[in-house]
Amino acid sequence: MKPFSQRYAQALADPNISTGLLSFQRSWRAGRDAQIAELEAQNGRSFYELRAELAAIKRRVRDDWDHYLDEFTANAEAAGARVVRAATSEEANAYIAGLCRERGIELVVKGKSMVSEEIGLNPHLESLGIAAIETDLGEWLLQLAHEHPSHLVMPAIHKRKEQVAELLTRVLGRPFPPGDIEQMARSVRTELREAFLGAGMGLSGVNALIAESGSLMIVCNEGNNRMSVALPPLHVVTAGAEKLVPTFRDAMTQVRLLARSATGQRITTYTNFITGPRPGAEQHIVLIDNGRTAMAADPDFASALACIRCGACANVCPPYQVVGGHAFGHIYTGAIGLVNTPFHHGIEAAAGPQSLCVSCGACATVCPVEIPLPTQILEVRRQVAEQVGLSLPKRLAVRAYASPRLFALGTRLAAVATRPFARGDVVRVPLAPKRHVSWRTPPAIPFTPARSRPDLRSGRQPAGPPLAQTEVAGRRVALFLQCLSDRIAPDIAVATARLLRAAGAKVTVPRGQHCCGLPAYDAGDWGPARRMAKATLEALAGADDVVTPAPSCVVAMAHEYSRLFRDEPQWAARARDLAGRVHDLVSYLSGPARLPRGALDNGDATPVTVHRFCQSGNVLGHTTHLEDLVRDLCRVPVRPLPENGVCCGFGGSTSLSAPEVAAGILERKLSCADETGAATLITDNPGCVLHMRGGADASGRPLQVLHIAEYLASRLPASNARADARGRPSSV
Amino acid sequence: MQHRAFEEFAARLAEVDGQAHLVAGWAGAADLARGLAAGGSVVVSPSLAAAAPELIDALGEQAQVGSSDSAVAGAAEAAVGMVLGDLAIVETGSVLSSEDELADRAVSMLTPTLIQVAPAASLVSSLDDAADWLSQRAGRAGYAALITGPSRTADIERSLTIGIQGPAVVHVALLDDGGEA
Repeated sequence: MKPFSQRYAQALADPNISTGLLSFQRSWRAGRDAQIAELEAQNGRSFYELRAELAAIKRRVRDDWDHYLDEFTANAEAAGARVVRAATSEEANAYIAGLCRERGIELVVKGKSMVSEEIGLNPHLESLGIAAIETDLGEWLLQLAHEHPSHLVMPAIHKRKEQVAELLTRVLGRPFPPGDIEQMARSVRTELREAFLGAGMGLSGVNALIAESGSLMIVCNEGNNRMSVALPPLHVVTAGAEKLVPTFRDAMTQVRLLARSATGQRITTYTNFITGPRPGAEQHIVLIDNGRTAMAADPDFASALACIRCGACANVCPPYQVVGGHAFGHIYTGAIGLVNTPFHHGIEAAAGPQSLCVSCGACATVCPVEIPLPTQILEVRRQVAEQVGLSLPKRLAVRAYASPRLFALGTRLAAVATRPFARGDVVRVPLAPKRHVSWRTPPAIPFTPARSRPDLRSGRQPAGPPLAQTEVAGRRVALFLQCLSDRIAPDIAVATARLLRAAGAKVTVPRGQHCCGLPAYDAGDWGPARRMAKATLEALAGADDVVTPAPSCVVAMAHEYSRLFRDEPQWAARARDLAGRVHDLVSYLSGPARLPRGALDNGDATPVTVHRFCQSGNVLGHTTHLEDLVRDLCRVPVRPLPENGVCCGFGGSTSLSAPEVAAGILERKLSCADETGAATLITDNPGCVLHMRGGADASGRPLQVLHIAEYLASRLPASNARADARGRPSSV
Repeated sequence: MQHRAFEEFAARLAEVDGQAHLVAGWAGAADLARGLAAGGSVVVSPSLAAAAPELIDALGEQAQVGSSDSAVAGAAEAAVGMVLGDLAIVETGSVLSSEDELADRAVSMLTPTLIQVAPAASLVSSLDDAADWLSQRAGRAGYAALITGPSRTADIERSLTIGIQGPAVVHVALLDDGGEA
């Protein structure tokens, strides 16, 4: 396989990938959601309960792996199969090649098997002069084109019909018009019929190994898999032992979730249950370890062995949509590929692809076996940083960010240096690197950070009565400014304080605060991340409640600190204490600090649209919180944003290390905003505000992007806030 | 026959481009096959032929029974194939057929038009019923295929094409009087 940088460049050079995947992701989402809703209605249980059941089945197998492996082996052998265990890819390939040699087999037909891709079986057989023909349409096309699958379930999703027509015309020597997909698809039937009948071996993967009977469950839609299994006199199965399930009932639990998650089907056309060889034939089941035992023994990654290879994690992944599976993954693609590649193909192979993850958390919400993929990807990233190393600019950036003094100095210098080029919210710096600024205009950096604004300086509580007596009236609320809204977008911090005061809270701004450590943690650099987290815990000790305009920091504090301090129980305990007290502004305003209906109705009812920060939905569980605040408090109509909640592409360090990915995701987001026709887009995470604001400017869109705090505070009555002419809170 | 269950089964199958029929006994199944074959031959899987000699009689000269020697060629050339269904599953519109012998499998794999014939009593509500049926046979070698409509692919630009390696047309005939199989 080519190095990551080449695969990444190739992916970007082929616009078919992103356009094809965008329409696939959208239609998959609709189909999958409809099928999952039907399943929930049928069962009277939620998707989350149903997947917990399947995850528990897979966990039970892992906890007693040897027992189920023995049970499966005994039953399969009793039914006439031969079960072989291979520790490595080489052992498995040698065994299968040996079978071919002993029996004089020169032609093998293959059903889809990711494990065979994992172990490199095809090239091995080819090197021995044995032809291994893929029979799944997508796999067959890729084999003809000398390519690898770019998706677990839709292997040729990156190919356009024109490319397929050209390929078939060239290889088969007869014309294939690009408009006739049916003719192209059906060609696989006529072309492969003789291979099926003449092959000495049929090779397949497996979807489940059923211990109670020694059966194989193999699904497919085309019918090719069952022909590979049934027609040749020798059937060879390549499988990882993680495919074990105890019973047929358990296999059906998997069936209910597999096709729905994979293709949005209720069930695949064929679900075959095969116990032993057919009369007069042979069956060999090769169970391949290739890193699985190590994975099972690793508490951070064992749960990833539950994967049923549905590909749902890729189908919701914003960076995957931009570059496809050849860049976003190694042999295994999508989020799961970032996680299992280190075990099957080494940490070096995982290093490039993992850098593309934006940590939006979408994969974890659709995974049918509840694998904590985002956390595992960050763990891979930590290992990459440790074993392969961070790039020098990234390491320096993280270190500079980690130091409050360097960060303050840096932003001040930047404010001074860029002041001549500031145009409103943004700054047009001549000679800035195009790769980073052509698609996203950088934000203007103010000279005075939020913490030095008169409203937020210590000891000052501006006069003026609260707007309402909410549950938080009189409470001491520590405002966690967040690094970006402190130094780059202070209006957001000031607006947050005003809203909290309007709800009756006594706002304090703890002095020692800096960044929560998320950027360093996200980069995999845990040393600085721990230092920043500890400083944050110290700074925020004592307050009744901690509120921040940045839900990303709440995710870090409430969900990631416990991992960061897994070897430091005292700090972990302090992190747990903070997790109980910290709130993002939207949760706080939607809960205890809720203002009365219409409290922010200032007569302006110009429609707006809202974008829910990805982690607010995917991690914190927000649903319509933003819409509700705008509608209920302001009485302003909200135009629904298509793909609300899908990441905007800010993605922390990803937008710096892979700007093309961030730019692609951003354009997807902004074009959804275009569809609403609204002139104002409101969202809830400061980094995303700056990112989308810069994107709107760079693309010449007249879209105004506001943080929810800015929008709401601009509508406070004059005694609580002074609004300037632009409808934004004045920057005092 | 629970008509509501049948209606639901038929609706699910229709969603994946298959058709369900209630037919009057084996003669009704033979009529359906003759109509679909439009003069061509009808290949009957050995398991079905053994279970329903009446069907072979009703089909008369048009019937061919697959044999292990000519299973593949016979199935590929026939206009219509008929196999026995063990269970019809309402939850998914699927039919479970046990096809231990190659001659049985060849029919459901290779014929362009497939009819799965199942007794009315085989209609069950869920995949769990299929799991229990399979569990009871655990310990026995065999091959059971849960088939849900015609063969399909969406591998080229996600455009749906029906009829790839397997049958392009799938009918399920449930025997209305039930007791004969």
